[in-house]
Amino acid sequence: MIGIRLANLTACFEGVIPSVLSTVAADGTPNISYLSHVVMADEAHVALSNQFFSKTKANLQANPRATLLLVDGRDGRQFRLALTFARTLLEGPLFEKIGGLLAASSAQVGLAGVMRLRSVDLFRVEAVAACPVPVATRPGAPAPVPDLPAIAAAVEAIADARELTAVVDATLTALQEACGFDHAVFLLGPDETGRLATVGSRGYDRSGVGSEIVLGEGLIGMAAARRHPVKVSDMSRIRRYGAAARASGEEEEDRLRIIALPGLADAMSQLAMPLVVHGEVQGVLFVESRRRLAFGPEAEAALAVVARQAAAAVLLAGTLVAETPAQAAQEGDGQPSPPPADAVAPRTFRVVHHAFDDSLFIDGAYVIKGVAGRLLMHMLEASLRDGCTDFTNRALRLSRSLRLPDFKDNLETRLLLLQRRLDERALPVRLLRPGQGRIRLVLEGVPVLETTGS
Amino acid sequence: MVIDPELAAFLAGPVMTIVGSRDGRNRAEIGRGVGTRVITAGVVEVVVSGWQWPATLANLRANGAAAITFANPADYVCYQIKGQAALRPAEAADLALSAGYIAAMTAALAALGVEQALSAQWLTNRGPVVVRTAVESVFIQTPGPRAGTAMPAEPPA
Repeated sequence: MIGIRLANLTACFEGVIPSVLSTVAADGTPNISYLSHVVMADEAHVALSNQFFSKTKANLQANPRATLLLVDGRDGRQFRLALTFARTLLEGPLFEKIGGLLAASSAQVGLAGVMRLRSVDLFRVEAVAACPVPVATRPGAPAPVPDLPAIAAAVEAIADARELTAVVDATLTALQEACGFDHAVFLLGPDETGRLATVGSRGYDRSGVGSEIVLGEGLIGMAAARRHPVKVSDMSRIRRYGAAARASGEEEEDRLRIIALPGLADAMSQLAMPLVVHGEVQGVLFVESRRRLAFGPEAEAALAVVARQAAAAVLLAGTLVAETPAQAAQEGDGQPSPPPADAVAPRTFRVVHHAFDDSLFIDGAYVIKGVAGRLLMHMLEASLRDGCTDFTNRALRLSRSLRLPDFKDNLETRLLLLQRRLDERALPVRLLRPGQGRIRLVLEGVPVLETTGS
Repeated sequence: MVIDPELAAFLAGPVMTIVGSRDGRNRAEIGRGVGTRVITAGVVEVVVSGWQWPATLANLRANGAAAITFANPADYVCYQIKGQAALRPAEAADLALSAGYIAAMTAALAALGVEQALSAQWLTNRGPVVVRTAVESVFIQTPGPRAGTAMPAEPPA
């Protein structure tokens, strides 16, 4: 029945060029409108987003036959599909998928909430025909085939990583080297305040470690909130998220106490994949590209495989730390370290702690705020008071002055953020992780601590 | 049906134009328009490629039932007109109108990041025919709560 297979039209289902739907009322009056999202449901059905057009709905009740025009986002070719309305979906995986696509694209164009998905209409495809082509199309580059052996090896490396920092690095390596994503960001969270934090990235001028995204906001926040991947395949008409915030460098950081997300100013394709394990979100992997339609079904599948493994590894890394407190405590909690041999007139550095948001500055450079800021302040105070530079997760967790949230304190995530921020800004205090559940403060000088109310 | 000057200017501008029609068995058909002029307050002429959209023109020739939607891809402002259409052969002025539209539309889409190699697939006037529609109703289709509502047939007094 179908001359051209729907499976060959994947570039028509990426939502790059709007589709067109035409229906006819009982009295023979036609209706024609643009559609934001068309999804291939199976080899013989397409699902359409129904957002506002009650006329289309009324027409389909009276006359189920409709015609759809799809456009290939790579070369502009057009296809006419003869459809018969099958049924309306108000829930289920297809509804969720199209709802996610719509939420993503409407939020990006500043129409969040306006383009609410009312229902998804499922149509049987009776025939597919290609429209006449007025100019020869350029042969598009073939879709890259995922390198399965490379992905298998990369996923194994993630599974072998025991500590969170190693999980993050192995995952970013998998994205860059095995999957071929040139620009990738790893975020963990959400934390108890509903924020996801960047813990690593590849392919950017700045790593953006410590930058935050609020759950539900932008592609990344939406992927975490919906627990579904969220993709944009053509950003050309879209207001890019955080474009203004991205322009900032270290000076802006020090002034605003906000770290900018890493990002391409001229990205054309973006894909955010939630890290889900046992139904719970551990974070988000985000990739982007300067090419339109960069992330087809194969790339999305490869990212999903890596994300699943990374999610399990993140959860396991947290569990392993939590389950080895006794051994870690034995290694000496709060024990004074031997004084350094060359303790001659060490340099000093100034640490300013702003109590209202727990933001921390070292010699004027913004480090971090919130719980991670309190953590570093706590350890610095202990080092001055007792000469102690070795700590354990367990002792930090038990410390009342730190006011760690009771539930899901994400201590490992915060330590990782802190460690990476100190490294990145090349500060005279660093964190080492000499073993699981252990933290060592390395000081190049004597901290002079100062706490202010503002 | 009265088309006010503001709407007339919108319809004649660089806006994507799609033409809905139906055959004798009430099956819908889709085509594209490539150039519009508003003749009097109630008549709209749209150039359509007979080479690319023969089924659309066959339908309009047979029964005249037309629905034409005009959308600005930059801001999503969108209107649909409905009415009774008749066809006439394109003349030199229609070809000039269409050529001007295709150039302006190509530039407008390029400014939004759509390359000419793509838009050239949709913006052809090969085998041009003029669809002349006596407009009976106008609907707002800009995304939002007013989408689908009819414009008043006469401007408010």
